[in-house]
Amino acid sequence: MKRPTISPPLAAVLLAMALFLLSGFLPNGFGGNLDVATAQAINIVRLSVFLGIIAAGQTLVVISGGEGIDLSTGAVVTLTAILTYTIVSGKNEQVLPALLAVLVVGGLIGLLNGAGVAFLTISPLVMTLGMAGVVSGLILVITQGNVSGAVAPIMTQLIARPVLWGIPGAILIWAVFAAFMWLLLERTTFGKNLFAIGTNRTTARLSGINVTGMIIATYALSGMLAGLGGFLVVGNTGVVHIRIGEPFLFPSIAAVAVGGTLLTGGKGSYFGTMAGALVLTLITSLLTTMQMQESVRRMVLGATLLAMIAIYGRQRGFRQ
Amino acid sequence: MAPLLAVRNVAKRYGAVQALIDASLEVSPGETLALIGANGSGKSTLSKVINGVVAPDGGQLLFAGRAVRFGSPHAAKDAGISTVFQELSLIPQMTVAENIWLTREPLRRNILIDHRTERRRTEELLSLFAGTFRADLTPDTPVSALLPDERQIVEILKAISVNPRLLILDEATASLDSRQVQRLFDLIGQWKTQGTAIIFISHRMVEIEQIADRYSVLRNGQTVGEGAMKDATAGDLVALMAPEASGGAIERRRLSPDDLATRRVILQIDDLRTGILRGVSMRVHEGELLGIGGLKGQGQRDLLLAIFGGIPYNGRIMLDGKPVHFTHPRQAMKHGVALVPGDRTGEGLLSIRSILENLLVPSWRDYGFPLRMKRAHQNASVIAARLDLKMAGLDAPVSALSGGNAQKVVIGKWLLRNPSILLLDDPTKGVDIATKAEFYRLLTRLCDEGTTVILYSSDDEELISLSDRLLVMHDGRISSELAGASLTTANLVAASLGVARRETP
Amino acid sequence: MKQTRWQQATYRHPYLFALLLLVIAFTANALLQPNLLEPTTLNSNMRVFLPLILVTIGQAIVMIGGGIDISVGSIVSVVNALLATQIGLSGDLSTAGVMMGVALFVGMGAGALNGLLIAYVRLQPIITTFATSFIYAGLALFILPNPGGGAPSRLTAFYRETIILWLPLAFYIIALLLFIWAIMRRTRYGRYLYAVGGKAEAAYETGAPVRAVQFSTYVISGLMAALGGIAMTLLTGSGNAQVGDPLTLSSITAAVIGGTPLSGGAGGITGPIIGAVILGLIRNIISFAGVATWWQTFVNAAIIVLALAMPGIIRLVRRRRG
Repeated sequence: MKRPTISPPLAAVLLAMALFLLSGFLPNGFGGNLDVATAQAINIVRLSVFLGIIAAGQTLVVISGGEGIDLSTGAVVTLTAILTYTIVSGKNEQVLPALLAVLVVGGLIGLLNGAGVAFLTISPLVMTLGMAGVVSGLILVITQGNVSGAVAPIMTQLIARPVLWGIPGAILIWAVFAAFMWLLLERTTFGKNLFAIGTNRTTARLSGINVTGMIIATYALSGMLAGLGGFLVVGNTGVVHIRIGEPFLFPSIAAVAVGGTLLTGGKGSYFGTMAGALVLTLITSLLTTMQMQESVRRMVLGATLLAMIAIYGRQRGFRQ
Repeated sequence: MAPLLAVRNVAKRYGAVQALIDASLEVSPGETLALIGANGSGKSTLSKVINGVVAPDGGQLLFAGRAVRFGSPHAAKDAGISTVFQELSLIPQMTVAENIWLTREPLRRNILIDHRTERRRTEELLSLFAGTFRADLTPDTPVSALLPDERQIVEILKAISVNPRLLILDEATASLDSRQVQRLFDLIGQWKTQGTAIIFISHRMVEIEQIADRYSVLRNGQTVGEGAMKDATAGDLVALMAPEASGGAIERRRLSPDDLATRRVILQIDDLRTGILRGVSMRVHEGELLGIGGLKGQGQRDLLLAIFGGIPYNGRIMLDGKPVHFTHPRQAMKHGVALVPGDRTGEGLLSIRSILENLLVPSWRDYGFPLRMKRAHQNASVIAARLDLKMAGLDAPVSALSGGNAQKVVIGKWLLRNPSILLLDDPTKGVDIATKAEFYRLLTRLCDEGTTVILYSSDDEELISLSDRLLVMHDGRISSELAGASLTTANLVAASLGVARRETP
Repeated sequence: MKQTRWQQATYRHPYLFALLLLVIAFTANALLQPNLLEPTTLNSNMRVFLPLILVTIGQAIVMIGGGIDISVGSIVSVVNALLATQIGLSGDLSTAGVMMGVALFVGMGAGALNGLLIAYVRLQPIITTFATSFIYAGLALFILPNPGGGAPSRLTAFYRETIILWLPLAFYIIALLLFIWAIMRRTRYGRYLYAVGGKAEAAYETGAPVRAVQFSTYVISGLMAALGGIAMTLLTGSGNAQVGDPLTLSSITAAVIGGTPLSGGAGGITGPIIGAVILGLIRNIISFAGVATWWQTFVNAAIIVLALAMPGIIRLVRRRRG
């Protein structure tokens, strides 16, 4: 007999919906007003986009196994947000060069992470942690305390404003991005090899997979995606500060975990991470609407993550 | 005599799999019971029920006349049941002494560990197998630095260090060479006279015939027969284990040396050296089945891995007349070389991924972008059918397969690429007789189709009956080449021990 | 089994590399700060290093047992917030004593929650302690929303100024902890710790109390973090709910530089203590070397990454040559 099981991504989506409905009953919630509810739903999804895209690289790194994790994500987001802000300086024609620059910078940082992990066999936790410190230091060196620049009008228009049928550009970008991620993970040799190295690196190598190259590519990609995240974040907020990326680090890992990606590697999906990003964004906004203090918000976030991993993140016992 | 242990009607279910339905056995003090059965018949599960690792769903265990229920391996050990595990229970980072005495360390003043006593007792235990392992194995050697057979010996010593009343040997001889097995059997004889009961689990019929007093046969989780060994022939036992199986190895028509001489040399190796290999040279002909024999750990694994580009080496390798030097398996793969590694789960499979993905790991590049999944599915199905893979479906995780079927997946992933040279590192280790026979037929067919096969096996019988030519390795060198009339078990055993010189036919 | 002598030596003494780094860092520091070995300078350095050293010891024990504790920094913050609000700048010594006892229990309680979730509910260490670190950090903020409070100067002076026989207080605390560790290492518990971290399944099959050992490492880590929190409070003499944040990452870095692999089952606490001292010395060197303010974080982080990468680089170079 098969026990009825529910896939983690689906569970996360259901949780997100339940939370959203719950938020409707709050004193300043949407109540029975469908228009307001739709608007709020769209807003929540829009807010989730940034976490969702930043967590994409994290998803890849976690799937790649070997205790894969990227703790430099937050710092890279900050650095690339500042770079975007400085390079664009309010000019539309500077947007593409800025995007290119942040992808290259993010990719280079990720490349260093990957090289440390693959060649020097430094554990990913420690390597990316050290890199986070280096990048934070770099930010101080570059900014020396003040950042000047501006985002371009076209960025605000494409990212923060409605583009099509009242749907904000960010959501459309996310949809395209999600399709790209699905294709990458499920329909390319890279994706299949990624799951393989995440499951068993010796088997992968003896099956002709260049494990070292895969690890480096994965971390580089994670850095690039964090760079893209920084670009989008600053496009949304329009202003930048020296800690803009930091709040994304913990949720980016939490979103991956809540989305049911196996933290030991080898199994997972980007849809799960998207659902995880939705759940985390919802909880944050719910607590903000309820005017909870920062301290309570943190405790609730931590407890939620615990609850989610306790449901389907349990490891096998010794005794069967 | 009253049995020391009686197992009555034990049942165990893992999720959807009913591993044991109705298993029973009895073993008396001073007696060796062979617990036999094909792969997936429930032998390991039954031994784990007895030693407390697995909780049974039903049935009864009587130990020394009392009904018992062990809540943990510790409880079973306290009662006097000790197990040599198939999957090793040693901790790599700890030393030999630390591993053997874990949880039973000799103490001073009831708190501090008495290192000197611990060391002395370890040396006493090691002396039981003296001469069958390398001299630099001491109580202070970390287990991670040991060879597989040495680990197995330490595992055996750990199990007997508690002076058990019942000793379970679960495939304990699988990674031992013949000398070590013989020493173990001598020791079993001694323990029996001291009243120890022994349950011996093995796939090697020769060993069972040599050591067991009684047998108990499991088939599909049920005990289907038991009795005294002297009343049964190997054929009887095989018939009980797998009534449908036609028997053990099949004879392959051997290619004669003259026949081989006319064939093209596809692989030529000169003075190959690695950490273990000390200058290996050989020629392999197209369509030949070349056997590699010898004791465990004489460099066979290194030889296969070096050819496959899995480990760095010095020396010359010519493939199809062209010099090559592979630094990564990917390059070997592109030249039509394939390797079925020795450690199935650790090196051959992606356990949590699907059968489909396991079959296609080396081949995804050939399916374009986006990957043509339909074609991948079709190709995998063809291979699965060709290998007679017993599975729920291609999307089922490979971890759900039995040992023999899992090994078919490892071989299948290379067959999908039509290799011209297939390297096999002990592929039938822990595989049941029926599946072994299927492998023999498969290898025969591959050779007939022109594939060159290099097979290392720890099973001497298998090597003798399959090989066209047999190279015996000793201490990192090829000590002997057997072909034609000299290809006999006696010669193989002699050469394994390093007695014979290399004779060229 | 052919191991080089360096490999054998580092197997027996995992802290050799750290010791080498310590000598280099110490020499560099002594060149820049000639009075480094004078009792007062030594004391002013060691009292700053001590909180991290204490936290790192706990972290190392968790890592030997095969886990990791990302919540240590938050536990330090909770303890600091608790002491700063409950003792206060004008508190009397008996209240302080009681509250420090309470703080130790709070630390162990926080560790016990981690241990319960990881050992018995069987959740993954990284993500679990990551989650609880959020809970504990929230708790610290809840107790002390804005920096304030503190400890009476009589108490802080004892921590800051005590020098016995030319050696600062911190030395005696470290010596005591090393002594306790040496005993622990020679008990069955010590063996179990390495066995559980090395290969938990094997330890379980052998009959070692795997779950209890895993649980205990987090309780020890919580206790050490609480001690670190007390030391931190006495050092700063004030309360700040985020004071522990940097300690989490530093403690992991210190343990790794000290030769404790994240894979578990190996290492000790000597190396991690040295690692923590190295991290402190590097900060000293940077500030005494006159590195421009904006560059300090970067240089510090770069040196740490280099130190972490060094064993790997050495191995790569050796392999290329051999």
